[in-house]
Amino acid sequence: MSNALELPSILDLIAASGLHEAFTSRRGEALEVDAGGVTRLGAQCLQVLLAARAAWAADGMGLAVENISDEFSATLELLGATPEDLTHHAQQDDPKHDGKELAA
Amino acid sequence: MEDPMAAIRETFFQECEEQLAELETGLIAMENGTAEAETVNAVFRAVHSMKGGAGIFALDSLVRFAHVFETALDKVRSGTLEGTPIVIGVFLRAADVLADLVRAARENGSVDEARTATMVAEFDQINNAGEAPAPAKAAAATTGLFEPVPEESSTWEISFTPRAELYAKANEAAIILRELRRLGDIDVRLDTSGLPDLSELDPEGAYLTWHIKLTSDCDEAAIRHVFEFVEDDCVLLITPPEPPGFAPGTVITGDNGFKFEFFPPSEEEEEPEAEVVAAPPPVAREVQAPPPPPKNQAVEVMAAKAEAAASVSATIRVDLDRVDRMIDLVGELVINEAMLSQRVLEAGIARASGVAMALEELEHLTREIQDSVMAIRAQPVRSVFQRMPRLVREVAAQTHKQVRLVTEGEGTEVDKTVIERIADPLTHMIRNAIDHGLESTERRLEIGKPAEGTVKLIALHRSGRIVLEVSDDGGGINRARVKEKAIENGVIAPDAQLSDDEIDNLIFLPGFSTAAKVSDISGRGVGMDVVRQSVAALGGRISITSRPGLGSTFTLSLPLTLAVLDGMVVSAHGHTLIIPLSAIVETLKPRAQDVFPLDHEINVLALRGGYVPMVDIATSLGYSEQPIEPEQSVALLVEGEGGVRAVLLVDAIHGQRQVVIKSLEANYRAVPGIGAATVMGDGRVALILDVDAMVRDARSDSGARAPEQLVLTDAA
Repeated sequence: MSNALELPSILDLIAASGLHEAFTSRRGEALEVDAGGVTRLGAQCLQVLLAARAAWAADGMGLAVENISDEFSATLELLGATPEDLTHHAQQDDPKHDGKELAA
Repeated sequence: MEDPMAAIRETFFQECEEQLAELETGLIAMENGTAEAETVNAVFRAVHSMKGGAGIFALDSLVRFAHVFETALDKVRSGTLEGTPIVIGVFLRAADVLADLVRAARENGSVDEARTATMVAEFDQINNAGEAPAPAKAAAATTGLFEPVPEESSTWEISFTPRAELYAKANEAAIILRELRRLGDIDVRLDTSGLPDLSELDPEGAYLTWHIKLTSDCDEAAIRHVFEFVEDDCVLLITPPEPPGFAPGTVITGDNGFKFEFFPPSEEEEEPEAEVVAAPPPVAREVQAPPPPPKNQAVEVMAAKAEAAASVSATIRVDLDRVDRMIDLVGELVINEAMLSQRVLEAGIARASGVAMALEELEHLTREIQDSVMAIRAQPVRSVFQRMPRLVREVAAQTHKQVRLVTEGEGTEVDKTVIERIADPLTHMIRNAIDHGLESTERRLEIGKPAEGTVKLIALHRSGRIVLEVSDDGGGINRARVKEKAIENGVIAPDAQLSDDEIDNLIFLPGFSTAAKVSDISGRGVGMDVVRQSVAALGGRISITSRPGLGSTFTLSLPLTLAVLDGMVVSAHGHTLIIPLSAIVETLKPRAQDVFPLDHEINVLALRGGYVPMVDIATSLGYSEQPIEPEQSVALLVEGEGGVRAVLLVDAIHGQRQVVIKSLEANYRAVPGIGAATVMGDGRVALILDVDAMVRDARSDSGARAPEQLVLTDAA
C-alpha cells in the first residue's frame, strides 16, 4: 500500500519548496504521484521531481507518476524529459536510468 | 506621483555612469600595460551590464553598440584578439561613443549616427586584423552588427545553463525553450549531472543544463534575442552550424597549400565542437565563433563569481538631498552647541562644574558627528579625473597634437560639492594646457622634445586644502607676447615694469588670450579669467608657474569642504570677523619702530628683514574712517594665493572656532573683501574675511607701479 501525492496545479518557482518538502517528508516509502491537475510545470519543480526519482531509486522504493495531464506531459517533453525519467519501479532497476544523462 | 519605472531607469543610468568610469579606468590600465588578468573581465562586465540594463529599457541603439563592443572585448578576453595599442585605442574611442549613447538615452537626445557607424566599422577592422584573414569576408558594414545570415537551414547547438537568479527573476527555462521552438525544430537533451541529492537540493537553486540542437535558418541574433533577458543569469553557449557542403571526410586544399579534412562530430563529446576546422570562403564566421567552450565557461564562471563578489560590497545609495539635509542640521547643531556654551559661560557656571564638563563632551561629540557627516560627502576626485582622458583625446585630435595624460592622486578625497564644481575649471585648464601650452608636434620634434606632449593632472592634500595641479611640458608662457598683448589691450601701461610672476598672472585677466589664433577649443580668451572666478567662488586660489621651454603648471588650491571652516575670531572696530585659520601664518604685536609709511595710506611692517604691507581691516571694510594705531592693534600675518603675504590689523583676537559657512551671496549679496558669513554662539552674524582679496588689495596699493586694473578688475 503506497502513499499518494497529488501535485498542485501550478508547479512554478513558488511551488518548488513545498514540493521539495512533500517529497522529503515521504521519503522511505513507495509513492504514487498524481499529476492530473498540473497545468504548469517549471524547471525548478522538475529538478525536485528528478531528484526525488533519484532518491527513491537509491532507497529502492517505487515511485510512480500517474494520471499525467496534457500540460504536464507537453512541458516535460519540451524540457527534454519523459514521464519515465520521473518514475522508479521498485526491485527492477532500469539500467537506462542509471546514468545521469537523460534523453528525450 | 512618481513613476517607479522612471526611478529604476534613473538608477540604471547612475549605474551606467559607474560602469563607464570602470570601463575607462580598465581600458587605460590596459593601454598603460598595468592591466591585470581581472581588468579585461571588469571591462567586459561593465559593457555587458550596460547592455543588459539597456535591453530592459529597450534602448536599442545602445544595446546594439554595446553588443558589438562586447563581442570584441570578449575576443580579447578569450585571447582570440590581441590587445594591441591600436585595438585598445579603438576600445577607448568606443567607450566615448558608448558614453554618448548612454547620455543620449538618458536625455532622450540624439547621437551622431555617423560616429557610431564609423566605430562599428573600426570594430570590423580590428576584428579582421586580429583574425586569420577570411578570404572573402562579407562586409557586414551595412548593418554592421551581426554576421551575415546563413541562407540554408542548418543546425545550431545551444548549451543553456540557467543560474538560480534566472528563476528568481521569474524567468522560466520552459518558456525560453518554447521560444526557441518557434525558430525551428529543436532537439532537447536534458543534462541532470549537476543535480544533487534530494536532501541537499535547494528547491530554488538551479542545477539543470539543456543542450539544444536547433535546426533553423535563423541567424545568431535571433537566437540571442530569445535569451535577451536571461543572458546575464545563465551560461549560454551558441555554436554556429557546420558550414554546408562539406560532408565528413571531405578534404579541401587551401590557397596556402594546407589540407583540411572534415571529420564527423564526435558523439562522445560532452560539449559541442566550437571551432570549425577551416572556414570556407563565404562565411565570416570568426566574428561570432565563440572560443573553445571549456575556457569560455571557466571565464564565465569567473566573471560570475567576481560579479557576485562585487554585488556584496557594503555600499548603499543615498539621495544627496538627505545627506545635505543632515549636514545642514549638523551645522545647526554646531551653532546651537556653541550658543549653549556661551549661555553657560554667561551664567557664570564654573569651568570645572559638571555642566561645563558635560558640555565639553557634547562639543567633542558634535565635532565628531560633524566630521563623520562630512566624510559621507567626501569622495575621491577620481570621478572628475576619469572624465579627463576623453577630453584629452578629443582636444588632442582637434589640435592634431599627440598628448599623454598622466594622473596622480585620484584617490584624494574632497567634498562632493567641491568635486562637482572643479570639473569645469579643470576642463578649461586641461584644454588650455593642450591647446596653448603644448607646442605642435612638428615644433616639438624641431626642438628635440618627444613628439608626444605630456599633461599631468595631480591631486593632493596640503594643509587642509586640496591642491590640484595641471602641468604641461610645453613651451611655457611666452612672456614677451603676453606683455605685448596686455599693452595692446590696454590692460597695463606700456612702461609698466612687471615681474615674471606678474606677467604670468596676466593671463587670468578677463578677455585675455595669448594664442596667436583664436581656436574653438580654448575659445576667445574667456578661459582663464572664468576659471579664476569659479575657483574664487569656491574659496579657492589659482596660480601659475611657468618656465620658458619647459612648460607651465597651474596650481589650484581649494578648501576640502564648503560647509565648515576653522577660523580665528577677531574684532575690528566692534565688529566680529572670522579669518580662515588656513590663511594665518602667525600673529604678532607690531612695534612702532617697525612700521614704515609707504605713502599716505599704506604702511609696511619690517618683519625679519623683509617688508610686508599692512591692511587695516576696519578702514578697508569701511567700519571706521580713522586708521588704527599699529601699536594698539594685533597683527595677523596672512598668506594669500601664490604665497603673497600681508599683515592684517585688528583690535583683538578672541580665539579659534570652527564655524559653519553660510553663503553671503545666497542670503544677501556678494560683498568685496568678505567671503561668507556665519552665525556665532550668541546668535549674531559674523563675516568671514576673504583673505585673498585683502592681500591682493594690499599688494596692488603698495606695488605702486603695478597698474591698478590688474587686480581690481576681479576684486571689485
